[in-house]
Amino acid sequence: MDISVEPPRVAAAAPLLELKGISKRFTGVRALDHVDLDVRAGELHVLFGENGAGKSTLINVIAGTFPPDEGSFHFDGEEIRHLTPQRARAIGISPVFQEFSLVPSLTVEENLFLGREVSAGGVLRAGAMRKKARALIDELGFDLDPGRRVDDLSRAHQQMVEIAKALLGKVRLLILDEPTASLTERETGRLFELIAKLKAQGVGLIYVSHRMREIRALADRVTVLRDGRHIRTLDAARVTDGELVELMTGRRIDVLFPAIPHAPTEVAVDVEDLTLADGSVREVNFYARAGEITGIAGLVGCGKSELVRAIYGLEPIVGGTVRIEGTPYDAPAPRESLTRGVAYFPANRVAEGLALSRPIRENASMTALDLPAFARLGLLRQGSERGLVGRAMERLKLRPPNIERPAGALSGGNRQKVMLGRALTRELKVFLFDEPSVGIDVGAKLEVYEFMKQLVEAGAAVIVVSSELPEVLALSNRLYVMHHGRIATELTGTDKTEQNVLASFFKEHLATEAA
Amino acid sequence: MSDLDLASPAATTPSERRVALLALAWQAALPIALVVLLLGFAAVDSAVLTPGNLVNIMQQASYLALFAMAQTVVILTRGFDLALGPTVSMVSVGAALAMAVGVADGQEPGTVLLMGLAAGFALGAACGVFNGVVIAYLGVSPFVATLGSYNIAIGVATTISSGRPVQGVPDLFSWLLYGGNLFGVPAAIVITVIVGVALHLVLTRTVYGRALYIIGTNPRAATVAGLPVKRLLVATYVLCSTLAALGALMMTARTGSGEPNLGGSLSLQAIAAAVVGGTSLAGGRGGVGTAVVGALFVTILSNGMNLTRIDGYVQMVVLGAIVIAGVVLDRLRLERRG
Repeated sequence: MDISVEPPRVAAAAPLLELKGISKRFTGVRALDHVDLDVRAGELHVLFGENGAGKSTLINVIAGTFPPDEGSFHFDGEEIRHLTPQRARAIGISPVFQEFSLVPSLTVEENLFLGREVSAGGVLRAGAMRKKARALIDELGFDLDPGRRVDDLSRAHQQMVEIAKALLGKVRLLILDEPTASLTERETGRLFELIAKLKAQGVGLIYVSHRMREIRALADRVTVLRDGRHIRTLDAARVTDGELVELMTGRRIDVLFPAIPHAPTEVAVDVEDLTLADGSVREVNFYARAGEITGIAGLVGCGKSELVRAIYGLEPIVGGTVRIEGTPYDAPAPRESLTRGVAYFPANRVAEGLALSRPIRENASMTALDLPAFARLGLLRQGSERGLVGRAMERLKLRPPNIERPAGALSGGNRQKVMLGRALTRELKVFLFDEPSVGIDVGAKLEVYEFMKQLVEAGAAVIVVSSELPEVLALSNRLYVMHHGRIATELTGTDKTEQNVLASFFKEHLATEAA
Repeated sequence: MSDLDLASPAATTPSERRVALLALAWQAALPIALVVLLLGFAAVDSAVLTPGNLVNIMQQASYLALFAMAQTVVILTRGFDLALGPTVSMVSVGAALAMAVGVADGQEPGTVLLMGLAAGFALGAACGVFNGVVIAYLGVSPFVATLGSYNIAIGVATTISSGRPVQGVPDLFSWLLYGGNLFGVPAAIVITVIVGVALHLVLTRTVYGRALYIIGTNPRAATVAGLPVKRLLVATYVLCSTLAALGALMMTARTGSGEPNLGGSLSLQAIAAAVVGGTSLAGGRGGVGTAVVGALFVTILSNGMNLTRIDGYVQMVVLGAIVIAGVVLDRLRLERRG
């Protein structure tokens, strides 16, 4: 680990926020490992790192959402212990998280004053609150009506409410977690002006973003996190984009991926001008061939997951065509997809995959109850089912190999194996994996990758959607990068590098934001 | 009953074994409570344990057991049917009216019987289709949907009967569904046992039954796995209302007339019996066994309270408290399970 802290500026006073050696563990995972961070008054400090690098854990510690396991926390020179979100706000630490904290059924002003309503003798002073809300919104220059219900607002407007809420009252340290993700160019401009004003007033800012242009425009210093560790804190003016990306990604040796012998044959799935009802995927063209793994990478919310869900029939399609082995497939639905040999393995196995209190056997055969091996004339063939599922789970090395236990008793890796067991209970040609290694340990990851390898060798088309760049890079033969609902680029061969994938995010940002 | 068999021998880790033991204790608790209850009442009044009273209890319980089974199938899918009681009333007057028409027409007794059965089951199935479509396809919550059909069914039952009992239920009908017996076992018990066994087989041995438990445990996963969730929900509400219709016909046979108030508070009683028996309102847990045990428990309790001359209103308080206790226990079980 190479830690180098920039020499303090000559005029710099004691930092507003000073964290030393902060660590935080979640059941078995070290989310933060002795991280240092200091933020000065009037400074904008960018936190930079990949998904899972520890950025959100860190800002949650600062906001008092949960306490650190170890390390010291000083704010304005005072040692802070047992911080709660309420206390953090009281001392002027104001976070704006990506997940909104708004009550959808209340109005903008009711949300702004939630928990700190202006009242006289128990009676709300609606007029005073409205005036104050109006004044704040005007000052921020947001196009917001304080009387509207939050659930009537667009996501961008909700984001503005969230920022306004954070700025109501005394603010000394403002935390912004990807604040521009849903703002338009104009609104982003407003936000930047606001940030400049806050800095001039001596407010410290922590700013989480992947966007190079914003970092360039705003940052005084940048702290790079990777795998829960503090990598470096740098002066923004003296670092190049390339250096930042390299620091962020680092060298990885965490998982050894199997060598997959891709032997692409004919096209198994292709989509043409695919557009979804919610706009998460727009005019996408892509194809996946049998005998290879096709990867889809992209940031959270780029539409990569929705794309494969739409092919399987879980997201409504409003335009374009899906074809399975060249045959148009209109209005996909899960049952029909399975019949056509397309299977989907959801990212959230608890919510969408398993019936936790039911036995492993029933969970594995769930997608195959229409086959004569499992049921005839509506009557279950439980003996045959036990045999088939038992053999499938044996092949997947389920531990312990008891298929009558409830699926809920299993670890994340074994749960994924139950899902994979479904792949062995019927004939399938296309496998859509959505974040296949989320929530499972390294050993199980390897087994999942090995399973994919076997599928490809057997001539199946495998599509892997993943937010873990090293994973899609290593597994896929061809890699699509999605951005804002569109395919940003397709990478193959030696072009398939982490730098190119990241570059395409940023290039796309620059292209759209400069417009 | 394997659907009651939550404590599977498959438990392998110590914590699983503990949970399994708890579940087993819970399953054993109710039958034991039943016996204790019977003995307790017998100590107060020896008439409780006479063969005549025991058969009487079984016969009484058989109606509630049918209605509890009806509720159980929809509770398995995380729903319930508040309209069950009014459905019973509507089926009762509908079937009685159809048979009255048949008798007035001078039809054969057998034909009149068939007309009554057909009208009753058709009305029941229609209620089920209505509830199922509103819930599954229009996305209305079971509470609101069946509260609506509750009022509709009461309105229809009262209107077609003009609010008065419909006379003229033929003897053959009463004999078949009430007065008759098989080797001395009253018709109501025979029918309920046959239906119970059949329903148990449907729940445990068919694709439909399997899907029901999966939908109740995780509806989203059922959809992703390609199960026809909406169609199955409609089928389940139809099954529920058809079972209710059978119970309604049996009760009509007993009273000898079509009664516009026959359903009364049956909706809640049936839900109560199912829940007390161990059917989980959270879905996916329960079956014929839980429905039957719950119905027996509630019936024995009220039978015993009648024999020991506990005031009717006090009985309502006891029943209400027991239902709440059943739901609380269900929650505790779910929490322990995690």
